[in-house]
Amino acid sequence: MGGYGDVQLLREDGKRLDGRAVDEMRPVSIEVGVLPSAQGSAMITHGLNVAVAAVYGPMEAHPRKIQRQDRAVIDVRYNMAPFSTSDRIRPGFNRRSQEISKVTAEALESVVLVELFPRSKIRVEIEILAAEAGTRCAGITAATAALADAGIPMRDLMIGVASGKIEDTVVLDLDKAEDNYGQADLPAGILPNTGEIAFLQMDGDLSPDEFNLAMDYNFKAAKEIHDIMVDALKQKQSRGDA
Amino acid sequence: MMVELVPSLLRQELTRLAQEGERLDGRNQWEGRDISLETNCLYNAEGSAKVTIGGTIVYAGVKFEIRTPWPDRPTQGSLMCGAELRPVAHVKYEPGPPSPQSIELGRVVDRGIRESGCIDMDDLCIVPGEKVWGVMIDIHVLSDQGNIFDACGLAAIAALRTATVPAERFDVGEDYRLKVNGTPIMASFTRVGGRYIYDPSEEEELGGEERIHITLGDEGHVHSLQKGLKGVFTPAEFAEIFEVAQQRCNELRKLVAEKEGN
Repeated sequence: MGGYGDVQLLREDGKRLDGRAVDEMRPVSIEVGVLPSAQGSAMITHGLNVAVAAVYGPMEAHPRKIQRQDRAVIDVRYNMAPFSTSDRIRPGFNRRSQEISKVTAEALESVVLVELFPRSKIRVEIEILAAEAGTRCAGITAATAALADAGIPMRDLMIGVASGKIEDTVVLDLDKAEDNYGQADLPAGILPNTGEIAFLQMDGDLSPDEFNLAMDYNFKAAKEIHDIMVDALKQKQSRGDA
Repeated sequence: MMVELVPSLLRQELTRLAQEGERLDGRNQWEGRDISLETNCLYNAEGSAKVTIGGTIVYAGVKFEIRTPWPDRPTQGSLMCGAELRPVAHVKYEPGPPSPQSIELGRVVDRGIRESGCIDMDDLCIVPGEKVWGVMIDIHVLSDQGNIFDACGLAAIAALRTATVPAERFDVGEDYRLKVNGTPIMASFTRVGGRYIYDPSEEEELGGEERIHITLGDEGHVHSLQKGLKGVFTPAEFAEIFEVAQQRCNELRKLVAEKEGN
């Protein structure tokens, strides 16, 4: 968190710079079945973020040393396209994308019914095409939608969503300015139906009360995004191209 | 990359179809699949395009940076075009450093644009000997269902032609539209069942042999050629596809002009 106190992020009427209320998320839209080459795929637009996910598998896990006798392994790659940010990113993995890939894979392994596919591998490819704060959450949501589109059984639809703190106020779904100049960021992977959390990161400064409020906001937004995702999945079914 | 198995049944079927002048998906020999082109579709790119050819989907984004010119060319900026064949695009692509295939793809597209002269490197000068623009076109293949070369070539030139130079963000004046003098277009052919076809599908590439990529400029001049994969061809065969390439490239050039608008 940047935490520079001199940037005004809340207006006098209590609204945020883009006009949102403190507990209002950016517009979200989801489309599934967008990539013909993949078993399952999804594109999510979350504010100005655009994330695409593709799922391949379950397939034989190789090299053999990664195989697990009792379950599938999930292989996640989170990658930002070179043109996704205002300064070009050099292609290839970096420490940030490796960490996000790792914790996202572990979160998905706790949601997908991996024990149904012993010794296999499920590949999840997350590509960020436009980044404006919140790409790991958009990536998690896209990955979930792509897994559902591929027909891979899961305990729930995990939704990626973040809350944070700006000017000592807890707000839902930070945009870029709020992320750069805010005081805290709390991204989570929420299972709205079971009420569980499968992904959690945080940086900055939050009191216990602020944490609880931020988490309440996250659950509220996750339910909204969950409904958007279910609609997108139903829409594809009714198009009949599943 | 995974070794792809070519079932001999697929080869046989492609050969049979070729003899009857037909193709797997019902197209005729020189017919392309449906193409869609969208421009300015990526928020953080200074120019962008999305190309769909059948089930092949490709994005291209243009970014700018300020760099010091080479000492022997103090007034010239630079242009670079790269392609990534990431594992998102097909089960056959595996993670790792750039594969020879993706390097070839990026370089063939790069040559077509560079050699057409559509970017005058002197236009990219800010302060001679001190500051010039480096233009970078990054191509991202999201779905490979055949003929990614043409999709990448089209996305790259469309993104370039819609690019805005972000001078304000770099504090060197006002933003302006990048000057692009021409629209080089690529047309690709693959030998399938013994004869050449235009715009190969995934199955046709799998069961086909060598491929030829031709990039043509506005006047019909050729700016880049590439022959890839195992196989040989005759001058007569080349003359035939060269003529087809002229027509296809003219059609696609019109499509770019239509979509670049604004």
